Amino acid sequence: MDITRTSRIAKAAAVAGSLALLATGCGGNNNATSEQPASPDNPITLTVTTFGTMGLDDLYTKYESENPGVKIQATNIDTGGNALTDWKTKQAAGAGLPDVQAVEEGWLGQVMTVSDSFTDLRDYGAGDIAGQWVDWKVQQATDDEGRIIGYGTDIGPMGLCYNADLFKEAGLPSERDAVAELFGGDNATWEQFVDVGKDYVKASDKAFYDQSGFVWNSMVNQLDEGYYKADGTLNIEGNTQLRERWDLLADAASNGLSSGQTQWDWGKGQAFVDGSFATMPCPGWMLGVVKGQIEGAGGDSTGGWDFADVFPGGPANWGGTFLTVPATSQHPAEAAKLAQWLTSADSQAAAFEVAGTFPSSLDAQQSEAVTGANDLTKFFNDAPIGKILANRAEGVKAQFKGPNDSVIQEQVFGPATIALDSGTDGQKAWNDALATLKDLDIK
Amino acid sequence: MTNKPPGASTGPAGRKARPSAPTPEKLREDQLTGKQRHRHFFSRLDYKYSPYLYVAPFFILFALVGLFPLVYTFVVSINDWDLLGGAGEWVGLENYTAELSSPLFWNSLFNTFSIFLLSAIPQLAIATFIAAMLDQNLRAKTFWRMSVLVPYVVTPVAVTLIFSNAFDEKYGLINNLLQVFNVDPVAWKTSVFPSHLAIATMVNWRWTGYNALILLAAMQAVPRELHESAALDGAGKLRRFFSITLPSIRPTMIFVIITATIGGMQIFTEPKLFNASSSVPGGPDRQYQTTVLYLWDLAFNRGDFGRASAVAWMLFLIIILIGVINFLLSRKIASSGEKRAGRRPARRGRRAGKTAIPASGQDMAEARRRNHG
Repeated sequence: MDITRTSRIAKAAAVAGSLALLATGCGGNNNATSEQPASPDNPITLTVTTFGTMGLDDLYTKYESENPGVKIQATNIDTGGNALTDWKTKQAAGAGLPDVQAVEEGWLGQVMTVSDSFTDLRDYGAGDIAGQWVDWKVQQATDDEGRIIGYGTDIGPMGLCYNADLFKEAGLPSERDAVAELFGGDNATWEQFVDVGKDYVKASDKAFYDQSGFVWNSMVNQLDEGYYKADGTLNIEGNTQLRERWDLLADAASNGLSSGQTQWDWGKGQAFVDGSFATMPCPGWMLGVVKGQIEGAGGDSTGGWDFADVFPGGPANWGGTFLTVPATSQHPAEAAKLAQWLTSADSQAAAFEVAGTFPSSLDAQQSEAVTGANDLTKFFNDAPIGKILANRAEGVKAQFKGPNDSVIQEQVFGPATIALDSGTDGQKAWNDALATLKDLDIK
Repeated sequence: MTNKPPGASTGPAGRKARPSAPTPEKLREDQLTGKQRHRHFFSRLDYKYSPYLYVAPFFILFALVGLFPLVYTFVVSINDWDLLGGAGEWVGLENYTAELSSPLFWNSLFNTFSIFLLSAIPQLAIATFIAAMLDQNLRAKTFWRMSVLVPYVVTPVAVTLIFSNAFDEKYGLINNLLQVFNVDPVAWKTSVFPSHLAIATMVNWRWTGYNALILLAAMQAVPRELHESAALDGAGKLRRFFSITLPSIRPTMIFVIITATIGGMQIFTEPKLFNASSSVPGGPDRQYQTTVLYLWDLAFNRGDFGRASAVAWMLFLIIILIGVINFLLSRKIASSGEKRAGRRPARRGRRAGKTAIPASGQDMAEARRRNHG
C-alpha cells in the first residue's frame, strides 16, 4: 500500500502546507527611492485591485491614453468580503499585492494594525490636497502617527430604495416626496419605518424589505459608536442603544416585514422583479448593484423602483472606499499619482455616473455630472440621485471601526439577523449572537 | 492491485544477476589501463548511487512542499500567530486546548463525518452496482464506460455552482419540483441534515463514476473460469456476484474506501461554494462548515493563524488515525479473504473431480499474496 500511504501523507501535508507557505512568504521590499517617471521609453505596468461596482473601468483607459508608458492591469473582485480575504492573504504573504489597492471602510480597523505596510501618501503630496475631501474621510485614512495611507473615493450616504408600483398597489403614497413624508421626512425614525411596514404587509400580504441584515447594518452604522467604543473596547453586551434597535428589528421580522432573501443573491435578482419586497436601505453604491440585479433578472427601468430622500433614524453612512498604495509597490510614485488621479473630483464624478458611487470629493458632489441626469437616474424613475445623496450625506458622522468589526458584522450578527428572518424570537437570537461572540473569542 | 513500485519486485532478481558479472572482471582488474580503470570507477559509482539520484526528485519535492510545511505549521500552532501581525508569543499547546474546548471545532468535525458517511456509503454501493452492470456484455462498452466518468471531468467549482443553484431554497429547481408535488420546500442551505445531503449529492455525483471504473477494472481481473464453474454448479447471477465477484475485488474496494476517506476528511470546495454569499463560510449557523473550511475561516477571516495551524495538525492526526485503522482492517480482511479464496476452489475441485480448477484457484491466491506482500 505504498502509494496510498504516500498520498495520504502528501494530501494531509498539503492542507497544512498551504497555510505555512503563505506564512513564510518573504517580506516586501521598501524602495521609496528615486523612481523614473513612466514614459514610452520607460513603460511600466500598474496593477489595481478593486471590488464590487466602483465604476473605474473607463477611467483606466483614459489614464492610459493621457499617460503614455503606463499600462493598467485591473482586477475587480465580486464582493467586499472576498476582496478582504484576498487582501489579507496577500498582506500576510508579503507578496502579490497590487500597486493600488482599494480598501473598504469596514476593513480600516484591521488595516490600521499594519498601517506601516502602506505608503504614506504625504510623501507624494497628500497633505496639500487633503482639503478636497469631506474632512472625516481623510481622518479615517489617517493612522495614529498622522500618516495618510489612502485617498478617498466614494462614501455611502443612505437613502431609501422603494418600489412605487408596489406602494401604489398597497394604497400607500408612491410619489417620491410623499414617500419621504410618509416615513417622517427629516425626523424619520425606525419606529415609523416599522409601522409603515406593518401597514404595507397588512394591505399587500407581501414582505416590506428584502432581509434584516442590511437594515441592521444601517441601524448600527448610524450610531455614534457601533460594535466598538471610540477607545477601541468592545461595545455589544449591555449596549442598550444597540439592544433597543435589535428588539425593534425583531418586532419587524416577526410581523412578516422581512422577505428573508439571501444577501447579495436575491434569487439571482428575481426578488427585485417579482414583487417579493418593496423597500431596501440603499447607500449610494447600492444603486448600481440594484440596477445590475434587476437587469440580471430580465427587468428594466419600468419595474417601479425609485429612490426617496429619507432615511430612518437620521443620516447614515454605509461603507465607502479608499485607494491605497501598498509599500510592496515597485512604482510607489506612479501608483500614488494614479490613485490621486482616480480620486480627483473629475474622476469621482465620472465614476458616480457609471456606478452611483457617491463622491467624497466636495467639488465632485457639486458637479453637474453628479447632480444631473444619467443612466442611473433614468433607471430609478428620473430620481435626482445626486442631489438626494448630497442631502443624505449631511450630518453623517464617521464611526470608529474596531479590528474585528467586519467579523462581528458578518459572523455574529449576520447569522442572528438570518435567524430573525426565519422566525427566531429576538431574545433568543440576541443571546445566540452573544454566545457566538464568545465562541469566536473576540475581544 | 499493484501498489508496489515496480523496482521492488524486479529488484531482487537484478541484484542476484549483477554480482555474478563483476567476478571475472575482478580477476583482470590489475591488467586494466588507467583510462579503463577510470571508466570502471564511474560505472561502479553509477551502479551504486544512481538509484538514489533517480528517486531524489520526489524526496526533495516532498521535503519542500510536504515535510517542511508540516513542521512549520506545527511551529505556528504553538505560537500566538496573527495573520497580519505575524508571530507573537510562544503559547505551548494553548491553541490546541482552546480548539478542543471550542464548540465550533467539534461542530466542524461532526459536519465532516456526517457528510463523509452520507457520501461514502451510497457512493460505494452505487459504484459497485454500476461496475457490475458495466461488467456485463454490453453493446458500445467504451461509450458507457466513458459516460460514467464524465462528471469526474467537470471541475468541482462548476459542479458546486450548478448544484448550489438547483438546491436554492426560494428559487431552486429542486424545491420548485417538490412544490409541484405538493411537498413542502426543504431548507437545503439553512438546516443541518438537508444541507449535508445536498453536499453529499455533489460529492457522489462527481466520484461515483470514477470509483465505478476502478471497481470495474478489478471485476474484469476476476478469472472467468471461476464464474463459469460456479455457473455449472448452478449458482445464479446474484449468488456469483456476492460469492465470487465481491470477495475477489476486496483489495480494490479497500483502496477505494481509503481514498474516499482521505477526500471526505478534506472536503472544502463543495461546502465553501454551496452558499457562496453566506457571510459565514459553511452556512449562517455553520450547518455545513467542515473542518478544513473551519480552519480556513480561522486563518483568513478571523486572522488567527496559530489556532488554524493547531486545527490543521489535529486534522492531520485524525486522518493518520483513520488511515491506521483502515490499514489494520484491510490487512485482516485481506488475509481472511485469502484463506477463503484458497479454500473454495479446492473444495469445488474435490467435488467436480477436476484438476484444472484448483490450479487456477491457487494461482489466484498466489497472485493476491504477491500483491499484498
